[in-house]
Amino acid sequence: MRKQFAKTINELGGEDNRLVVLLGDISHFLLRDFQAKYPNRFYNMGIAEQAMLSVSSGLAMSGLIPMVHSIAPFVTERCFEQIKDDLCYQNLGVNIVSVGSAFDYASLGCTHHCYDDIAILRTLPNMQIIYPSAPHEFDALFRETYANGKPKYFRLPAKTHTLPTKPKFGEVERLYSGEDATIIAVGPQIQNAYDAAAELSKEGVSCDVLHLTTIKPISAASQKIIADSIGKSGRLVTIEEHTILGGVADEVAYIAKDIEFRHRRLGIEDKFLTNYGTYEEHCIANGLTKEGVIKAVHELK
Amino acid sequence: MAVDYKKELQQIRWDVLEMVHRAKEGHIPSAFSVLEILYAIYKNKKEEDAFFLSKGHASAGLYAALAHFGVIKKEELKTFCDYDSFLGGHPHKKAGYFMNSSGSLGHGFPVAAGYALSKKIKKEPGKVFCVVGDGECNEGSIWETAMYAEQLGLENLVCIVDNNNSQVRAMVSTNLAGKFGAFGWDVREADGHNVPELEKALFDQDKDASKKPLCIVARTVKGKGVKAMEEDTFSWHHRAPTDEELEKFKVEIFQ
Repeated sequence: MRKQFAKTINELGGEDNRLVVLLGDISHFLLRDFQAKYPNRFYNMGIAEQAMLSVSSGLAMSGLIPMVHSIAPFVTERCFEQIKDDLCYQNLGVNIVSVGSAFDYASLGCTHHCYDDIAILRTLPNMQIIYPSAPHEFDALFRETYANGKPKYFRLPAKTHTLPTKPKFGEVERLYSGEDATIIAVGPQIQNAYDAAAELSKEGVSCDVLHLTTIKPISAASQKIIADSIGKSGRLVTIEEHTILGGVADEVAYIAKDIEFRHRRLGIEDKFLTNYGTYEEHCIANGLTKEGVIKAVHELK
Repeated sequence: MAVDYKKELQQIRWDVLEMVHRAKEGHIPSAFSVLEILYAIYKNKKEEDAFFLSKGHASAGLYAALAHFGVIKKEELKTFCDYDSFLGGHPHKKAGYFMNSSGSLGHGFPVAAGYALSKKIKKEPGKVFCVVGDGECNEGSIWETAMYAEQLGLENLVCIVDNNNSQVRAMVSTNLAGKFGAFGWDVREADGHNVPELEKALFDQDKDASKKPLCIVARTVKGKGVKAMEEDTFSWHHRAPTDEELEKFKVEIFQ
């Protein structure tokens, strides 16, 4: 994923001389080609995320297109007010790209986890939230949107899926058709959702699997697809590497506000994950597995 | 040959008082503190220069100064803080007169630095002026920006600190000149109510030879021009004058 990130940014750097890279002291080696080719559009801003976000606002005001990149907690939670006041309130086209969201830095502990970024950023008017979880998804979505003049947050997970998706900004993609349950997944968990649907179909349970790569905004047409699916099945499972409060579970529940349905939220409960270990261990501990999805669908029967 | 700037500033001060009196809202002492600074900048500012007011609560002063220079229609001042006004308690860029919508402290300065950086990237002429308060210098983002400006070689950035000692109640702003100097800035000090002195500090040509950002620490008086406010800045920080006070202050201002 990070390789694709560097490739896309490098290519766009050559195609569009408005693109300016601001780094929160990560990925400078990864982006060394960009630095070598376009030194006056490459700035490692060190460890000062608040001012970095405000500086990006000033760049965007003059028509440049900043790409601000750092680790998720530091480029969202720490500088939330800068994102609110200097990007969203001014309504400026800045691209924030994070790595290390959720528990990608599993062993580094809670300061380096970030599973409320979607929830907090969703509350900001003008903000757009994009969550690619395969290299081709980042490439397509970044190219489609980077110059659209809106504040945007790209959440780049370390784990990626291998499904041949065709992401389009603002649109939901149906990866599996069924009517007994609706499974809506974001990020790499789409793989577990897809695999669970395949297994459930063997026992005669058919699932609609919907993949969201844009969390905000979701087009009216895609909202209708989501609402129709939930209306038909009456059973919803959402799965996300994020707190169950305020993330995709809430977004989808809001879209389906006029429909009667039962809902299982797979995600991170309202707690700090004080264990260390690996990404996979955290997925298992939080029920973010194929088995977890199957269990949730069964519970809703 | 020189315009009688003192007379013009008397009128601008009066406009601020009238605005706030009518709206029963606004920060008069903070506005009075920066009026000469705003006057010196807007009187000399070139087309390619940009201005950011980081301490947005001095908005009444900014509006009155812009009205004086014909950027805002004088009539519009009478809408100050109305529900559908373009001129609020903190500036909003929907008005079309300001670079940034401000209010929260410690934001306008790094945004101005970003704008100065964009000029360097695009090889555009012009300077970027930004007014911050000494109280605002409590914010960490001010010092993050002080570091950035030196590191990024923003010789086109001019920071004016409205050093009105508003922070005596909390964190006293000691040696701001030394602090900016330590961050690698050129630093000048000036009487913030003396327009010729400010103009010299702001626009002195020697500056063009320097590759450093410039900080002007302007010694100002909060509530300048109205004794009652100068002597009791705490109670006047966010309060409108009564009808009687307005009349009294009018006499004092036009003395």
